[in-house]
Amino acid sequence: MAQAGSIVSPDEGNEKQPLGLLLVAIPVLLIVWLVIWPIISAVIDTLWRSDGHGHVGFDASSYVFFFTDTYSLNNLALTLWTTGICAALLLICCLPIALYLRFGRGRITGYVQTLAILPLFVPSIILAYAFIRVLGPNGFYDIVLHGLGLPKLRTPYLTPWGPVIGLVWDNIPLTVLILLSGLGSVKDQAVEAARDVGANRLQVLRHIIMPTISNSILVALSFAVLGIFSAFTLPYLLGPASPEMMGPFMQRTFDDVNDPVAAVTQAVISFAFCILFGLFYVRSVARNQGRQP
Amino acid sequence: MAVLKIENVSKIFQGGTTAVDDLSLEVSDGELVCLLGPSGSGKSTLLRMVGGFERPTQGKIFIDEADITDQWPERRPTAMVFQSHALWSHMNVFKNVAFGLRLRGLPAAEIRQNVEGVLEMVGLAGYGKRMIHQLSGGQQQRVALARSLVLEPKILLLDEPFASLDQHLRERLREEVRDIQQRLKITTLFVTHGQDEALSMADRIVVMRDGRTEQIGRPDAVYRKPLTPFVAGFIGTMNLVEGQVMRGAFTRAGIRVPLPVADGPATLAVRPEALDLIAAEPGQAQVHRITDFGTHGIVDLELSDGTRLKSMATQPNALRPGQGVDLVPRALTVYRESREIYRDVHD
Repeated sequence: MAQAGSIVSPDEGNEKQPLGLLLVAIPVLLIVWLVIWPIISAVIDTLWRSDGHGHVGFDASSYVFFFTDTYSLNNLALTLWTTGICAALLLICCLPIALYLRFGRGRITGYVQTLAILPLFVPSIILAYAFIRVLGPNGFYDIVLHGLGLPKLRTPYLTPWGPVIGLVWDNIPLTVLILLSGLGSVKDQAVEAARDVGANRLQVLRHIIMPTISNSILVALSFAVLGIFSAFTLPYLLGPASPEMMGPFMQRTFDDVNDPVAAVTQAVISFAFCILFGLFYVRSVARNQGRQP
Repeated sequence: MAVLKIENVSKIFQGGTTAVDDLSLEVSDGELVCLLGPSGSGKSTLLRMVGGFERPTQGKIFIDEADITDQWPERRPTAMVFQSHALWSHMNVFKNVAFGLRLRGLPAAEIRQNVEGVLEMVGLAGYGKRMIHQLSGGQQQRVALARSLVLEPKILLLDEPFASLDQHLRERLREEVRDIQQRLKITTLFVTHGQDEALSMADRIVVMRDGRTEQIGRPDAVYRKPLTPFVAGFIGTMNLVEGQVMRGAFTRAGIRVPLPVADGPATLAVRPEALDLIAAEPGQAQVHRITDFGTHGIVDLELSDGTRLKSMATQPNALRPGQGVDLVPRALTVYRESREIYRDVHD
């Protein structure tokens, strides 16, 4: 038997392979059963359908309907808009926070980090109701404005901006953590060397920091985009009834309209967009890694 | 070129740690001054204050009479070569060196000419398109040097630039850097904790300890005439023996060295090359070990109380372990309360 510190021969290593494969097999089978098979099943169910007389054949009518239906396209457009705006706002909000946490000194950085991570521990449904109580009609701001004798402001609740605010807030912790991890690879001396040759803070950010953390930005944005595109709770509770994001749209098509084929078609189309984001991410990361050691 | 003047500079970090304590120094035009000291002596902090990366708690820094104490690093006429090279791995060699010139808005043709010129100077002609990870450690350090030199700074700051290189490469690069520095006559402040580097490169050495200067002088003077026991022990190898002066002689565990100093505690300092040995039984010391380096030998000696000393012998094979010897110092220095009180140099 090999003991700690002894050299394990290649044969001994091979003997352990079946156990290793067995350990890997369980999660792989679970992924195939719970993820891969439902995807394949959804694509098959929406493209090979019964014509009502027992004959099963290729039928893309549910897709044709989706891409010719104005309401469906508006929902898709709203989802893409929300995702794009959220991704941009997340980068705008989180990059300065991550930069401050990376390069800031002193006690305040600890408080800022705690505040930035806090949403991670707040369930989406709690966040949604807190949002309604603060920014919704007759909420905290309305009461304060009324108390000051000022007119009411238009609330973002039940407008496309409602889910945007909620989703951005919800995604701040993960985005900050990923960016912060990327900024860990920016060495202090690399920044100092740039300043030494004459770069101001903005030039250091543009020419040194951003290229160094480009992979982390891609990872953060990909995680955010994939999560936001398929979000349900916050768009359902904070968003408008029409147009609506793909998550609530699928749920309503399935439950209220009782049209499971249309709902699955919407799911497959959403999945296709997420796959496109995924492919873009993988390609960009591979390209960036090809340039670096 | 330029004169660097540091006036009564101190740096106290948050928490009260004093890194540099009321230090003054003037580096003449074209001079290479080494800041030498152990870790935590404040040499890197001082260099970083000159570079603008740390702000002095008090004192002023001048370059050519211009006060630069409160200037941002990007505004200073200085350039620093960092210990870790601090090259930008997403840029190739050319872009690394050209970055500073691009920020200054120079025309592309002039940038190309300057960069190619400086790359040739550091022995990297034709390496412009290589990525940083395709270079060896020594080549990376040359790129870092080229990046600083291309800006034609008034003051060149070198922060232990060879620390991450192997011994052979370090020796070669320090000769090259010294040659370039002398050719360009660029005023240079060089931080190192390697005494060999300091002794071989510097016009003057500043030995630092606990944020203060222990001694400033030419390398030979610092080596031959150390003003304090710390400098004596830090520069080169030195036998430092604590003992007592009584009735005109230093004594410690069988050693007796006549000295014209007042009675009291004293530290005797003798370099191994200035300590001759005469075979004697039982002798003042015993030979413990002999290490033959080919050109010379180092004899480890043990006094009766266990104190270890070293002597350099040109013919180490004449001795054997366990043999008794008498000690004859040809040159010695005596310190009391960290101050030199007597020096005797026969050779």
